[in-house]
Amino acid sequence: MKETKRTKALISEYFIFVIFIALVVVLTCLKPSFIQPGNLVNILKQASINGILAFGMMFVIIAGGFDMSVGSTVAFTGVLAAMLGQGQYPLIVPLAVAMLAGLAVGVVNGVGVAVGDLPPFIMTLGTMTAVRGLALLISNGKPVIGISTEYKAVAASSIFGVPMLAVFLVVIIIICSFVLAKTVYGRRVYACGGNLLAARVSGINTTKIRISTFAIAGLLAGLSGFLMTSRVTIGQPNAAESYEMDAITACVVGGVSMSGGVGKPWGVVVGCLLITVIANGLDIMGVSSHWQKIVKGAIIVLAVLLDIKGKGKKN
Amino acid sequence: MNKKKFLAMLLACVMMLALATGCGGKDASAPADSAPADSGASSDAGSDAGSDTASDSGPYKIALIQQHQTNAFQIAVTEAAEAKAAELGAELKILSADQDAATQISQIEQCVTEGYQAILFEPVDPDGLRDAAKNAADAGVVVINIISACTDWEGAGISAVSYGNNVKAGETEMQQVADLLGGKGNIAILTGPSADAGGLQRMEGYENILANYPDIVQVVSPADCAWDTAQAQATVESWLSAYDLDAIVCENDGMAVGAGNAAGANSGIVISGVDGTPDGFEAIKDGRITGTVSQNGGAMAANGIEAAVTLLSGGTLETNVLVTDNTWIDASNVADYE
Repeated sequence: MKETKRTKALISEYFIFVIFIALVVVLTCLKPSFIQPGNLVNILKQASINGILAFGMMFVIIAGGFDMSVGSTVAFTGVLAAMLGQGQYPLIVPLAVAMLAGLAVGVVNGVGVAVGDLPPFIMTLGTMTAVRGLALLISNGKPVIGISTEYKAVAASSIFGVPMLAVFLVVIIIICSFVLAKTVYGRRVYACGGNLLAARVSGINTTKIRISTFAIAGLLAGLSGFLMTSRVTIGQPNAAESYEMDAITACVVGGVSMSGGVGKPWGVVVGCLLITVIANGLDIMGVSSHWQKIVKGAIIVLAVLLDIKGKGKKN
Repeated sequence: MNKKKFLAMLLACVMMLALATGCGGKDASAPADSAPADSGASSDAGSDAGSDTASDSGPYKIALIQQHQTNAFQIAVTEAAEAKAAELGAELKILSADQDAATQISQIEQCVTEGYQAILFEPVDPDGLRDAAKNAADAGVVVINIISACTDWEGAGISAVSYGNNVKAGETEMQQVADLLGGKGNIAILTGPSADAGGLQRMEGYENILANYPDIVQVVSPADCAWDTAQAQATVESWLSAYDLDAIVCENDGMAVGAGNAAGANSGIVISGVDGTPDGFEAIKDGRITGTVSQNGGAMAANGIEAAVTLLSGGTLETNVLVTDNTWIDASNVADYE
């Protein structure tokens, strides 16, 4: 039984990976400049912020939750970081404040869902709206300009040709994958999403676990906000609109089940790269925006459909 | 037990809401305090009968309904309108439609019911808001469009419009770019949301100018980056790895800043925007973008308020189309506009 489940999961990962490689090959044939090192660096940069958000989202979804508020949290913490990152404090201050603010939003979400028994969709829809309001309130609706050169350099610099943003992403991937796959805490997150009642009966403090998953999503949204401001060089209260949808898409395309309990970090990495490559490839080919929306939607549905069919056949 | 808790929370929410609206009310009455002093002063000069009617009507009640309040351009509109209303002693209420036509229609109806004498608004949709404007005008309210106008606005009973000309702004921007390129080169265009009226008008301006320059070639289709800096940055990064671009023309400053970040400072690529917002000015100063066309939203709002007060006090307008000029701002004159 365990064996088949394992092979099943392996095949599902394998399938989405095959689809990803096929897409890369097709794009390279259509437009050779797609595979140039310069563009690969672009793809890494463009995937980073969504990737970090998707990893936070992965914890929440695996534990059976759902978080609509991460986009607003990115904007809010990004504005906070821009206000504190004008050179008056060392960079660690805006970073810490952004992450703590994100954490606070996450804890509020978690308490609402786990203690208040609100449906995750409703709770995080509420914080999504309220936190966007907070972002507009503290910035007075204007973009916050004037961040310091060192702060701008965080996202603009690179190590041995690898952009700094991607380094952040890789560190997050390693930590999150380890926590989820190798620790007791990780098992408990899966248990909560698989069957909440069974998890509670078996002695897991499900309230704590569920709050903590939202807290992780919030914390990573705070980190994303800090990086986002560095990347675009301004703190914008209206930034990161619908980023939660991109993060959820990356998870679902990567094989994380919306009903909870199922999902692998590796799948999320591929899911995230897949949607970045679609956007990048269509831009490079100069496809008109109207078509891009149609193609993007179709590829996402097709990828997941092929993935499901692939699983079905092998069984 | 749980029900009780819930009720208590609900009650707390209602009380907080009441508190918030209470505060709002106080805010709105603040300019009213200064108004009686004005009308008192004018009654000294006028006849007794005149002063009677003035004290009956009190300060003019004007409502301004913005499309949204989430960027620097719109905040400039808010601030200029408040300043102008305070200067003229009018009582001003400002609402935001949050980009939703249905919300804006209800807000207009609500303002008519509440007895506002003039309603200024930027239509979320030029066709969708037409009937609401007409109904308000039929009810005797002075209706003025700012920033953009409803379709056939005069026919809808709208008394005046105060706007910049988006087509003209687009023409100014593209003309500058064409001059900087010497009439020849590869360009790409970043647009606002595909169906946005303002964006379409700017695009019309671009096309008017491009018609005169056959050697300026659009090498990629215009990309819809929804006014967003991060999205523009990603799109331009991708473009630059595949195309040789001489200029990137953007329909607002936010996207121009994104394009500038992707290209880097002093990249040799001409990058232009429209709006004249602080983030655009910062990028002009450090060489990430070349220039921008300022759309003076504040002046549009101030002119609209002034027109409303003129009409309410029985005056007539010299013209009911108030056009605010746009100017090209680059490194040479950016300091004058901050």
